[in-house]
Amino acid sequence: MNLLLRGALIAAVFHITPAVVLVKRPDAVQALLPGADAYLAREVHLSDPDAHRLHELVDWSPEDGVLTFYRGTASATAVGALMFVRVDTPHGPIEVAVGFTPQGAVRGVIVTKATVEMKPWVLEAVGAGLVERYHALKPGDMPAGAAALAGHLGNLAVYIAGEVDKGVARALAAYGTFYAVRNAGA
Amino acid sequence: MLYDLGRADLRIKWLVTCLLATLGISYVFGALMVSLYAGFTPGRVAATYAGRAMSMPMPPETTMVMEHPMSMEEFVKPEVHEVDTDLLVQDTHVHVPMYGVIAAALSLVVVGLSLSQGWALALITLLFAAPWLDFAGMWLTKFVSGRFATVTLIGGWAMGLGYLVVTALAIHQMWFRTRGVVR
Repeated sequence: MNLLLRGALIAAVFHITPAVVLVKRPDAVQALLPGADAYLAREVHLSDPDAHRLHELVDWSPEDGVLTFYRGTASATAVGALMFVRVDTPHGPIEVAVGFTPQGAVRGVIVTKATVEMKPWVLEAVGAGLVERYHALKPGDMPAGAAALAGHLGNLAVYIAGEVDKGVARALAAYGTFYAVRNAGA
Repeated sequence: MLYDLGRADLRIKWLVTCLLATLGISYVFGALMVSLYAGFTPGRVAATYAGRAMSMPMPPETTMVMEHPMSMEEFVKPEVHEVDTDLLVQDTHVHVPMYGVIAAALSLVVVGLSLSQGWALALITLLFAAPWLDFAGMWLTKFVSGRFATVTLIGGWAMGLGYLVVTALAIHQMWFRTRGVVR
């Protein structure tokens, strides 16, 4: 019986709670590509060597080996690009939308999805100014939101900030390697 | 037999009743969660577990770029909740032990019921086989064919059926059957 109780406790502690939408994708698109009136999905199907290169950079491989960027234009003038990046954590996945200016700098970051369990930690980190820390970062820069918030917030909010850092780092690496180089002046 | 819920001490009957009620609540919310994230039709279950893995092409020899216009409506489209292989590994690791504990708890109730050995064995088998089918269906849907979504649905409904049969028999024998019971 003791074994059963321990099993139940372990299962309860590690139970993954359902995903919740914090910001709807269309709202994130409008916020990160302001004024855009036309959108283009750019799917980059990575070869094995390129997928390996990305993995070496940020310890990550996109789902099915495909990076999807969304490019926005306003009357044929480039507004920028964005991508949605999923980060798997022991508490379930979070999704981060990272928007870039036409010059290739981060315009904004929005956490679009989390789990019921992580939602309060995300809100605490975002409320403390986490996403502002990523503003104007460029490919090659290291996001350091968690380090900036450490000591000012609870451990779990700082932990989530670290996961958001990972998402932003992945977007920076993907954009710098496979978008900006091939599509300069977007 | 010494362990007979129909003749058990009031405290044991109350314990079993509370356990069944608690499991019942968790089953109701489990069903609600399934309806929110996977659905009750083979098509929705297949979309959840098969995802794009069923049609995943081989990586190209050189990186290829494809572009297509997007309308805002396409961003608005409800997204299918997809469970990829990593998430299914995690879900299996987390849920199967818990389902085992629940099946064991319900089986302990079955053992205390006045049932023929054959019926008791059948019920215990159903209680354990239902989650096996549930997760076997998910894995087969992901890696063999979307048609195996039906196996997941059968497993899910079998879990509900097993719970309802055990609960109905236990409540009846503990609280409503008077014949042959010394109070």
